[in-house]
Amino acid sequence: MTTNYMQTTSSPPTQDASDELLIQQFKDGRKEAFDLLYHRHLQKVFNRVRYVVPENDVEDVTQEIFIAALKSLPSFRGDSQFGTWLRTLTNHKVAEFYRRRTRKQEPQIAPLSDAMAQLTGGSSQSLEERIYIQRALQSLPENYREVILLRFAEDLQFNEIAELTNQNLEATKSLFRRAIAALRTHLE
Amino acid sequence: MSPTKQHNDLDLDNQLAEFTDQVMEGKMNQTASPQDGELSGLEETILRLNRSFPPAALDDASSKQMLVRLKARMRREEQVVKPSFWRRLFDIQANPQIGMMIAVVAVLVLAVVAAPMFTSTGGTSVSGTASSSASLPIAAGLVVILLMVLLWFGRKK
Repeated sequence: MTTNYMQTTSSPPTQDASDELLIQQFKDGRKEAFDLLYHRHLQKVFNRVRYVVPENDVEDVTQEIFIAALKSLPSFRGDSQFGTWLRTLTNHKVAEFYRRRTRKQEPQIAPLSDAMAQLTGGSSQSLEERIYIQRALQSLPENYREVILLRFAEDLQFNEIAELTNQNLEATKSLFRRAIAALRTHLE
Repeated sequence: MSPTKQHNDLDLDNQLAEFTDQVMEGKMNQTASPQDGELSGLEETILRLNRSFPPAALDDASSKQMLVRLKARMRREEQVVKPSFWRRLFDIQANPQIGMMIAVVAVLVLAVVAAPMFTSTGGTSVSGTASSSASLPIAAGLVVILLMVLLWFGRKK
């Protein structure tokens, strides 16, 4: 994301403004800056949630993430990039979603009958497979799940994942292979 | 770990990463390694993941609709959870300073009312003594009422 140095916090928020500038504009009272941040990051958040949360709860959890982001944005200090901060928030909200379900003594993953009721356009077999994989992903250790989500849900290249996780490329690829091996074991 | 095993692992890591890149780019839709090899099973898992979660790009209209629903939900939540002025004023969990301030005021009131009792020299002023004695239970009552009010407004739902 490039920073547009020509803009200031007093200018109206625009599409090409950096995350940092939009956050500052939001803090200065320009609430419409949040809309731009939302549109910019929605797809990534949505994709990540889609991989780990049942189909019928994806939008709900995505909304909760952005509501939490909106509430916390005034105290966002910029110690990390907004995208990284949002990713962490997403993981917390997904974990909270499952904690809530456990408290209500609901099954961790929606039963197949629930998923079948959703008109998602997929066949029953592919829905079953998706639920099966979501369950397997949820039971993986966090670092394994994270590397899989970064590659598949966020479509990051391995060198980008390495940079993001402060690892070298070899270590990242090795972690990825071990993560896929663990997932395979869970799927068997 | 022996150098050969390390080398093999490194090869497997690279091959799987390359295979994944090709699958993600839509250039590969079947396993590339021999069926009985270790890599074949991992490639099959990659293909399963990719098939189960095909790319779901949100178009502009969907994004906008989601934002509208998000804002509507936020408005609803604000209305539901917006507490009254008095509840907010006496919300000790949210504003512990308020609770502390009221407690300090209560102690000061008690001290001011009770002070003449301890400073009187005894029997020289009959009317003053009577006044102090009479005001003490009233002050104590006021403090108790104040504390009850405080607890009432500060209680959790």
